[in-house]
Amino acid sequence: MLTILCIVLATFTFVLWPLIKVVTFPTIDDYMNFFRVQRWYYAGLHSLYMTFISTISCTIIAFIFAYTIVRLDVPFKRLFRFITVLPIVSPPFIIALSYILLFGGQGIITKHLLNIKVDIYGWQGLWLVQTITFFPYAYAVIYGVLRAISTNLEYAAFNLGASPWQVFRDVIFPLCRPGVAGGALVVAINVLADFGNPLLIAGNFYTLPTEAYMQIAGWYNLPTASVLATALLLPAVTIFFLQRYWVGRRSYVTITGKEIDLAFSKTPSLVKWLLFSVCLAVTTVVILVYGVLVIGAFSQAWGYNWALTLKNFRYMLARFVEIYNSLKFAFLSSLLAASFSMVLAYIVQKKQIGINRFLDFLGILPGAIPGLFLGIGFIMAFNEKPLALTGTGLIIVLGLAFWNIPTCYSSSLAGLQQIGNSVEEAALNLGANNFRSFKDIILPLLQVPFLSGFAVSFLRAITNLSVVIFLVSPRTVVGTISILGLVQNGVWGSAAAFTVTLITIAFVVLGIAQLIMKKTGKSLDI
Amino acid sequence: MSLNPNDAIIRIQNVTKWFGSIKAVDNVSLNVPRGSFTTLLGPSGCGKTTLMRLIAGFYEADGGDIYIDCKRVNGVPPYKRNTPLVFQEYALFPHMTIFENISYGLKLKGLSKTEIKEKVDEMLQMFSLQGMENRFPRQLSGGQQQRVALARALVMGQSILLLDEPLSNLDAKLRVEVRGELRELQQRLGITTVYVTHDQDEALSMSDVIAVMDNGIIRQIGSPWEIYFKPRNKFVANFVGTVNFIQAKIKEIAGSNIIASYAGGEISIRREGYSVSPGQRVILAVRPECISISENNDGVSGANQLFGEIKKSSFLGHMIRYWVKCREQEFIVDDFNPSRHGCMSGKVNISFDGNKVHILEGEG
Repeated sequence: MLTILCIVLATFTFVLWPLIKVVTFPTIDDYMNFFRVQRWYYAGLHSLYMTFISTISCTIIAFIFAYTIVRLDVPFKRLFRFITVLPIVSPPFIIALSYILLFGGQGIITKHLLNIKVDIYGWQGLWLVQTITFFPYAYAVIYGVLRAISTNLEYAAFNLGASPWQVFRDVIFPLCRPGVAGGALVVAINVLADFGNPLLIAGNFYTLPTEAYMQIAGWYNLPTASVLATALLLPAVTIFFLQRYWVGRRSYVTITGKEIDLAFSKTPSLVKWLLFSVCLAVTTVVILVYGVLVIGAFSQAWGYNWALTLKNFRYMLARFVEIYNSLKFAFLSSLLAASFSMVLAYIVQKKQIGINRFLDFLGILPGAIPGLFLGIGFIMAFNEKPLALTGTGLIIVLGLAFWNIPTCYSSSLAGLQQIGNSVEEAALNLGANNFRSFKDIILPLLQVPFLSGFAVSFLRAITNLSVVIFLVSPRTVVGTISILGLVQNGVWGSAAAFTVTLITIAFVVLGIAQLIMKKTGKSLDI
Repeated sequence: MSLNPNDAIIRIQNVTKWFGSIKAVDNVSLNVPRGSFTTLLGPSGCGKTTLMRLIAGFYEADGGDIYIDCKRVNGVPPYKRNTPLVFQEYALFPHMTIFENISYGLKLKGLSKTEIKEKVDEMLQMFSLQGMENRFPRQLSGGQQQRVALARALVMGQSILLLDEPLSNLDAKLRVEVRGELRELQQRLGITTVYVTHDQDEALSMSDVIAVMDNGIIRQIGSPWEIYFKPRNKFVANFVGTVNFIQAKIKEIAGSNIIASYAGGEISIRREGYSVSPGQRVILAVRPECISISENNDGVSGANQLFGEIKKSSFLGHMIRYWVKCREQEFIVDDFNPSRHGCMSGKVNISFDGNKVHILEGEG
C-alpha cells in the first residue's frame, strides 16, 4: 500500500507537476505575444513545415528500406540493417556535425573536392539531415508490420488473377498502411521536438525548440520560453496520441492466424534493383557521415591539416569527467526508469486502485513531451524548496529517468500482459502472499522487459541533449553538452573525438545487452 | 501418501458474486461431500469457474458464506486457504524447472530440502515424470505439462483439489484416457475434488455429484444418473445429452400409471415419484435411445405409438440417428441395433416405453 502511494506520488510530482508548471507560468498576455511577435509565430510555422516535409521523406525512405530488407533477395542486407540502427544509438546533431564537416566552409566536398563556397545553413540542409537522422524510427515500425503480413494473402490475390503491381497496391500496401502511418507519426514527433540539428545548421530557419532555448540561454526569459515550449507541446501531444490511440489500434496483423511458410512472391527485377539503389545511396551517405567523424577525430585540424593525430582523444581524456558524467547519469537514470516503470506497470495492470487508467496515461505521457519542454519544466518545478534540485546531479538523473519512463513502462506492461493472471494466481494458490508472488514470479519473468527497457533508456540517456541542456551545471556537464560547445566554437576535431567515444560506448552497451538477451532466447527491440 | 487425514467438506451457502452489473453467481448453495468428485457443469459464462474461484479465494463473495472444513473462509486470502487448484492453461511458472514448479508450494511452507525432495520424487513417479525435473515447462508436451500441474497441486497433501477444465487443452483421445486416470487417482487418494467442465461426457463419466449451472444459478444437483434420466427442467435435459420434448396434459392417474395426453394421442407413464394431478400441463422428456422405431406399412398407430415419416438419417456406426416427423413434431430417434433392419426410410412407427418417459413437473 505504501509502495503504491509512493509510486503514485512520484508519478504526479515528476510527470504532471513540471508540465503544469510550464503551461501555467506565462500570463495570458504572454501567450498572446506568441501571435504578435512575428519571429515566434514564424518559429512555429517553421517547426510545422520542417516536421511535415521530413516526415514525408523519412517515411518514403523507411518504407523502401523495410520493403528491401523484408522482401527482397539482394546483397548487403546486413549492412542496410546496421545502417538503420546507427542513427538511433548516436547522439542527436551528429549528422548535422558531419554535414558541416562535409559541406561547410572547411568541408571536404565543398572546399576540397569542388572548391565552391555555398551557404549550407538553412532549411534544405536541415531537411536532408533530419531525413537521415530520423528515417530509422519509421523503418522500425514499418519493418515490423511488413514482416508480419501473411504471405498467404498475396498468394490468395495472385490466385484470383492479380498482377504483382495490383497485389502490392491492393493487398500489401493497404495491410501495412497502419505501420506506415504509425511510423510517420513517430518521425513527426521526433522531428518536431528535435533541438540539436536545427541549433547547429538551421541558420535563420529558427524553430520552436531553438527559439525556446535562446530565450532561456540568451535572456533567461522564462515566460516566453514557456510560451514557445507550450506551443511545441500542443502539436507534439496531438501527434503522440493520434499515433497511440488511432493508428495503434488499426492493425490487421493478427487476423490470419496460423502462418504457413510460403516464400514472398517475387518483385519485378527492375523495381527490385531500383529500390536496392536507393538503399545503397542512403547507406553511402550514412557511411560517409560516420566516416567523416572518425577521420575528423584523428585529424590535426579539419580542413587545414589532415595529419593523423591522437591529440583530439588526449583532449577528450583530459575532460573525461564529462564522459564519465554521461555514463553515470545514464546508468542511474535508466536503472531508476526501469525499476520504477516495472512497479508502475504492475500496479496499473494488476492492482485495482481506481485511477489505473489515469496512471497508465501518466506512464506514457512523457513520450509525448518534447525533451526540451521536460527540461524547462524541471528547472521551473524544482528550483525552490521543498525540492530545490537545480544544479545537482539528481535533477539530471530524475529528468532523464522520467523522460525514459514510457519506453520502460511499455515494455514492462507488455511483459506483464504476456504473463497472464493465472500464473500469479497459481502462486497465491500454493501459499505465496502478494509480496512473495511478486518476488518469485513477476520479477523473474520481467527480467527481459526490464533489461530491454534499461538498455534502450541507457542509449537514449547517454545521447540526450534536449533534456539535459537546461539541467546541467558546471559540475555536472555531460558529453553531449561538451560536444555542442565544441561544435559551436568550431573545434571540430575534439567534437568528433567526443562523439566517436560516445557512439563506441553506446555500441558496447548495446552489444552487452544483446548478448544477455540472446542467452534468455529473446532479441532486443530498439 | 501423506494426505491430510482430516476429512474435508466444502459448504457454499447463498453465495452471490457480482461483476459490475452482471450477477455471475446468483444465490448459490452447494455441499461438496467428503471424498466426492463433484462437478460444476454448464455452458461458458454460466458462473462455474467463478464459483470455483470463490472457493479458492481469487474472488470474494458479495454475499453468502463459504465454509471449508467447517471453517468460514470469507476474507481469507487465497494463500491461506489450502485449496490447490489445477488451472485450465496449467499456469506453470515458465522460469522454473519442473522440480522447482512442483516444489514451490512446499518451499513456501518451509519444508526441509530432504522432505521436499522426497515428496516431489513421489509425485514425479506417480505421474511418470522421472527424468524431467530439470526441464522447463515449454520443453514438455501438453499432456506432460498437465501432469506437472496436477503434481504441483497434489504434492501439497491437502484433502481438497480444485480442477478448472484441466482436460480442455488436450487432444480428444488423450482427454478420454486422462479422464479415467484422473477418476481412478481421485478415488485412490480419496481427495474431495471439485471439477469444472462444460463437457457433459466428462461430467457424466467422472462424477459422484453433478451441479448443472446456468446464468449463475444451479439448475440441478444430482448423481450422473439422475441428471441424465431425471432432469428437473428443460435446461438440464437439453444441456446434458439430446432430448425430445413433448407438450402434454395429465389426463388421469390410473393405478400405477399416469396417463398423459398430447397432440399425438396418449402415453402411459410409470407413476413412481411424480406428484402430478389431472389437468396439469407438463412437458415430457424422452431420450432418443428410449424410443424404438419399426417399419410401418399400414399407417396404423397403437398404444404409446406414433405414425410418422423419416425426414433425415445419419449413420454413426454403432447407431443410426433418425429425424422422424409425426404430424407437427419432429422426433430424434436413435436405433442402437442398426444391423437389425439396415437404414430405414419412408413411413415408420415410433413407440415410447412408459418406463422411460420422464415428466418435467415444473415446466408446462
